[in-house]
Amino acid sequence: MKRKITRKTKPARGRPSAKASVKASVKGRTKSTKAKPHHATPATAKSDPLDALVVAGTQALRLPLDPAWHGSVKFNLQLILHLGGLVDEFPLPDDAEPGPVFYA
Amino acid sequence: MLDTPATDFAPPTAAASAAAVKSGQSSAVRVVEAAIARIRERDPLLNSFTAVTEQRALLRAEAIDATRARGEPLGPLAGVPFAVKNLIDIAGLTTVAGSKINRDNPPAHRDATLIERLEAAGAILLGALNMGEYAYDFTGENIHDGPSRNPHDLNCMTGGSSGGSGAAVGGGLVPLALGSDTNGSIRVPSSLCGIFGLKPTYGRLSRARSFPFVASLDHLGPFARSAYDLALAFDAMQGFDPDDPISVDSPVEPVVPLLDRGAEGLRVAVASGYFKCKSGEACYAIDRVAAALGANRDIEIPQAERARAAAFVITATEGASLHLDRLRKRAGDYDPAVRDRLIAGALAPASLVVKAQKFRRWYRGEVLKLFTEVDAILAPATPCTAPLIGQQMFTHGDIELPVRANLGLYTQPISFIGLPVVAVPVPLIPLPIGVQIITAPWHEDVALRLAHALEAQGVVAAMRPAM
Repeated sequence: MKRKITRKTKPARGRPSAKASVKASVKGRTKSTKAKPHHATPATAKSDPLDALVVAGTQALRLPLDPAWHGSVKFNLQLILHLGGLVDEFPLPDDAEPGPVFYA
Repeated sequence: MLDTPATDFAPPTAAASAAAVKSGQSSAVRVVEAAIARIRERDPLLNSFTAVTEQRALLRAEAIDATRARGEPLGPLAGVPFAVKNLIDIAGLTTVAGSKINRDNPPAHRDATLIERLEAAGAILLGALNMGEYAYDFTGENIHDGPSRNPHDLNCMTGGSSGGSGAAVGGGLVPLALGSDTNGSIRVPSSLCGIFGLKPTYGRLSRARSFPFVASLDHLGPFARSAYDLALAFDAMQGFDPDDPISVDSPVEPVVPLLDRGAEGLRVAVASGYFKCKSGEACYAIDRVAAALGANRDIEIPQAERARAAAFVITATEGASLHLDRLRKRAGDYDPAVRDRLIAGALAPASLVVKAQKFRRWYRGEVLKLFTEVDAILAPATPCTAPLIGQQMFTHGDIELPVRANLGLYTQPISFIGLPVVAVPVPLIPLPIGVQIITAPWHEDVALRLAHALEAQGVVAAMRPAM
């Protein structure tokens, strides 16, 4: 049986799924392992509430954020929020059990 | 491009190796030496091993041969070489979990429970296997150790995150390997490498002394070249383990004696809707397996897309929680693709995580109802055959999707609620693809019986490696 899938090969390594995040990832890999925490500028944060969340959230959690990583982190956060939205819109009763451990 | 010349090399199964050792046709030392020779010859191409425990293996093999010489009984896996994903503790080695950061940890002081149990059955550990960093991966690529390579086309992915396990068994280096499966990391490489894989019921096999990823979704399980070998390994590893907090104290239920019951009397359906195949290979594989099992009805797994979304949210956030301190101290030492997803997960609102957990409980209840109507459900294991290493996108129906995030789109809604699954390989030229046999919790026996029956019919089989 012949394979029908068209392969679209791109330069290897950067794996996030948006071009911007690929670029950010490749840049991020070259950074020193002891890079100082560095946050996006307030000007960037004003342009999109999610930019502000990325900056404020990483600061609040004392997580480093090299500017080169910002786009990829934001992309991934957008994805989580989008998928979380799918879950959020599903109606469940108030007493639905959130306990994660389940037995047969 | 790397060459992948055809070969007539027929890798031995675990059952055949054990039978040869028990009968005296071979010795455990000879079996282990042959495996070491295969690793030396082929692993420079496959890149599946990150450590080979040659000395330990030879000592163990000598002990097994001495046991036989004394006339004492040997275990069901006597002399069978195996290897483990490098997030599973091996005494004396550092458990790197595919990372750079964990290389600074001290060596493990004791083997993981599953290694101890396999060795108690006579198996012989040969080393640690490559994997995607911290198991947050579906590709089998690793920026620190290089990608594991598909034994049927060295330019292609193994799938991940248990990529080294897929390559080592698919490439015939060892007949048995262990991996972990949080969202599909046993089933995806099984599918892309054309071998059998078992993701057991959540809580069935101990995870003690393995490096976690998402504790509420993590499973350990075996890879093999036959359903019989999977059952042999599964039986050897079963049993409650107080060292794993989620290990369930359920009775040991040996499956090997049940395998020959076949598919008779079992009701099998094909998952429809979200699980409807969209590639020629996946559709061919499902159709062949369904026809062989007489599965002539479809069944809808409700809200599967939402289940996958919830699994994604829980994975990102629980994984982030695990790595929070490491991210603060050594963010630059992560694979950027892993780091950026973990940082994003740390920022996700807890309210969505709790919603995802609540949905999980609801979804579990709905899916379990299906098993009053059927005994097993078939679904594709992967949406496509192995992509090229480094490939970013693949075609799914009429849309393009990122490879890394979507190779597990059919596996995530199943592991999300801990159901047992056997991934069976449908041999295709040039690349194989897998089908999931999904059963109710604690019914690994049903999935393994069906896999064994399909193998007997010649519908599924581990292909000889093309290298």
